[in-house]
Amino acid sequence: MRRSLPFELFRYAMIALALALTLIPILWMASMAFKPIAEWSASGADLTWWPKAPTLDNFRYIFGEQTTALIATLDRTATKPILASLLAAVFGTLIAMSAGTAAAYGLSRFGSGQNLPLALTQLRLFPPMAVMIPVMIMWAFLGLIDSWWGLALIYGIVTLPFAFWLMKTFFDEMPKEIEEAALVEGCSRFRVFMKITLPMMRAPLASSAMFVFILNWSDYLIGLLLTTKEWVTIPVYMASLSSSMTGQLYGAKAALGLIAAIPPVILGIAIQKHLVRGLTFGALKQ
Amino acid sequence: MTTIRLENLVKSFGSFTALKTMDLEIGNGEFVALLGPSGCGKSTTMNMIAGMEAPTSGRILFDGRDMAGVPMGKRGVGFVFQNYAIFTHMTVRQNLAYGPKARGWPKAKVDAAVAKIADFLQLTPMLDQKSAKLSVNILQRLAIGRSAIVEPAIFLLDEPLSNVDAAFRAVMRTELKHLQREFRQTMVYVTHDQLEAMTMADRIAVMDHGVLQQVGTPIEVYNDPVNLFVARFIGAPGMNLVEGTLAETDRGLAVDLGAFGLSPPLPAALAGAARTAGAKEVVYGFRPEEVTLRTEGPGLRAAVGFVERIGARTIVHFGAADRALKIVAEPSTAVSVGETLSIEPVAASVRLFDKASGRAIKGAA
Ligand SMILES: Nc1ncnc2c1ncn2[C@@H]1O[C@H](COP(=O)(O)OP(=O)(O)OP(=O)(O)O)[C@@H](O)[C@H]1O
Ligand SMILES: [Mg+2]
Repeated sequence: MRRSLPFELFRYAMIALALALTLIPILWMASMAFKPIAEWSASGADLTWWPKAPTLDNFRYIFGEQTTALIATLDRTATKPILASLLAAVFGTLIAMSAGTAAAYGLSRFGSGQNLPLALTQLRLFPPMAVMIPVMIMWAFLGLIDSWWGLALIYGIVTLPFAFWLMKTFFDEMPKEIEEAALVEGCSRFRVFMKITLPMMRAPLASSAMFVFILNWSDYLIGLLLTTKEWVTIPVYMASLSSSMTGQLYGAKAALGLIAAIPPVILGIAIQKHLVRGLTFGALKQ
Repeated sequence: MTTIRLENLVKSFGSFTALKTMDLEIGNGEFVALLGPSGCGKSTTMNMIAGMEAPTSGRILFDGRDMAGVPMGKRGVGFVFQNYAIFTHMTVRQNLAYGPKARGWPKAKVDAAVAKIADFLQLTPMLDQKSAKLSVNILQRLAIGRSAIVEPAIFLLDEPLSNVDAAFRAVMRTELKHLQREFRQTMVYVTHDQLEAMTMADRIAVMDHGVLQQVGTPIEVYNDPVNLFVARFIGAPGMNLVEGTLAETDRGLAVDLGAFGLSPPLPAALAGAARTAGAKEVVYGFRPEEVTLRTEGPGLRAAVGFVERIGARTIVHFGAADRALKIVAEPSTAVSVGETLSIEPVAASVRLFDKASGRAIKGAA
């Protein structure tokens, strides 16, 4: 059956529109990152879409080098916020994934009923804002305010339901015969879990971990509320990039945004093959 | 090298009873096939023997020892699943060595065992391949090897061949039988394929709806089915079963088969048994292979519906729907569709069943 020409045109137009919606802002950010101040500043004389005189000034600027064009001096460079974001997101992901995987396995193999899994998953629907005030008080009491470990802990807690739910689905889909085959050979549950289940779950683990990492990496609200100075994260730091003279420092923000996009992109490429397999895990049994 | 004894074994899932009081004794080194249609409780029985599930009531004894509470890893059974449970992140060699290593065998012994079983199952060329990439046939062979390698005293196989292709299934039937002769394990083999059960098993346990119907050698269940279910289930094509009424004739007791006419007189022993049983409504059964087909003569009169010629034999179908009969004849048999023939069952092959209870009416042997 051949599709009609108008339909084909419409189809491609829609695809182009969808691509444009996602790609144009990214392209715009990338081009912005390499523009000199005159091309992006509100006071600048000639705003452009594409940099006429490409420069690395914006990158130099956020890492603390004095550049001629930008007069405003930063009270801190981007290095520490990048480190803060990395540490908090990585350790937050570790916490969420290890607790979530353990909980998912336990409930998938030994749990009965739907209530507990559902209750855990529903925590995800709870707006973090609603609990942030008590969390701030608790974190202050524990001395966790403005530290990457404090952030990592809350990130782990907030993304735990998501990690749990993803892993539970994967464990439910894994044929139980595979574990029983190992159990019948006389291995303990724990050994079977470590030597058989987890290695066979590499793909699902990798894709879940990536989703959780991206959630943590892109958080703004929690970082804003729980850090003040020492360990602000990239999104919080980005919001602070402005000056009274030039207003929003769009060039610097774009440069930082481009840097912030690197880890998810690298992760995505690295686990691309696992992502596809992770999402089609049911095919294991055939 | 163990006997298995199932005593009043019952398994319920909630309000549903999957297995109703099963009693079965399996001898040392015996090959028993659990045969029955899908959902009849074969896997449930196996899982309880292996210790994957606990019986609702009843006992399982290995060599007289009650297995209640003994975890599956400690029962010394090998188990092969229908869906080859292969550790796909390991190579063929690692899969085979898994059981021996879990038991803490020294390396030299593990290597020797792997070499031996790989050779036996023709897995040697792919020992170092990742198992994820192998074909279904090889995976199932690997699954069998992984369980057989530790030479378990009891070997349980749950439909191990139902996912492999037909040609390979024939090869594996011989190999499995060979394997069992070699290692002399007590083997319980679940299948819904009667050909597998008939060709491999020492004894067959026929099950239906969670009830054990009959246990016997392949010949026994084939020749002397205890009830209508077994008669219909065993044999391909299955036994011809025609409902009728017992009728006294001047040549002895016969069965009035309605549209097919009167059956030939029953053999004396069977007639005697039928008289003693006092049944009136019966089911008359005979094997499609054990008949004489003539254009004229004594026997059931029926018109040929269609003819299936499948090489070594010819299947002639008579009648239609619930009144259908099947006859297996020589390939050279010349019959034409629509022609009315006489079917005379070989006297010794005739079986009678009580229509109400479905149970066989047996003449003194
Ligand atoms: N865990 C369970 N919970 C509820 N019902 C179950 C469970 N396991 C099995 N059953 C039911 O028990 C009955 C027997 O199942 P079983 O798996 O033993 O059948 P089977 O003879 O092995 O069939 P098949 O040839 O399809 O493998 C089926 O009706 C099945 O639906
Ligand atoms: Mg089954």
